[in-house]
Amino acid sequence: MANTPSITVLYFAQVAELAGLRQEVQTLGEAISGTEWLEDLEVRYPQLAPTARLKIAINQQHAPHQALIQPGDEVAVFEPVTGG
Amino acid sequence: MALRQDAGGPRRVTVQEADFDSATLVAAMRKRTAGKAGALVTFTGYVRDYNPDAPTRTLFLEHYPGMCEREIEQLCDTASERWQVQDCLVVHRVGELHNTDQIVFIAIASAHRGDAFRACEYIIDALKTRAPFWKRETLSSGERFWVQQHTADADKTSAWEAGGSPP
Repeated sequence: MANTPSITVLYFAQVAELAGLRQEVQTLGEAISGTEWLEDLEVRYPQLAPTARLKIAINQQHAPHQALIQPGDEVAVFEPVTGG
Repeated sequence: MALRQDAGGPRRVTVQEADFDSATLVAAMRKRTAGKAGALVTFTGYVRDYNPDAPTRTLFLEHYPGMCEREIEQLCDTASERWQVQDCLVVHRVGELHNTDQIVFIAIASAHRGDAFRACEYIIDALKTRAPFWKRETLSSGERFWVQQHTADADKTSAWEAGGSPP
């Protein structure tokens, strides 16, 4: 099933700790909005609730929640950043 | 070390675990911009102990490799579009850091001090809300927690993005 449409999901910092993993491949047949994806994330990982507070990056670019996630994308999910 | 040569001069962005020597970095920038830069502004950020009841023992910095460097390069690009910037350098550390350690270093060379000050302040302000780094603090009591983003930092970035400068 090497051609099953999927996305790579990256979890960082407190989100990774709560989810209990840093990376996974998720099957995704067709494009969905970040908002829908975050709602699904909350179903898969209730400990991340409320996921609407989280930030996402699509293909290593900050993305608003209304942005579309396409099969093949790299999606990262994280709390607001605290560098510097 | 990402080095790009295009309009506005080179940008050097490095994310590393190792400490850095700011004097060496400044000397190299002076050499690169000799005779052109009338101003060189630097900013250094340090680990500080701000909780008097439970002193910070260590700070752990996690980052998103790839996106992190590119976000900072974009900030350097934006600064170079808004102000006259001849040379822009950012070094940011990750991993385990201790009280008083250096975290971040920014250096901007410009013909004029106003541009250098503004570009440097913009980059550190925007870095705090855009570059994917996360700080986890461990107190001497053993308590561990992830640092929350300050509302003031987000407000400063918004002010810069609106075309102005923060209050």
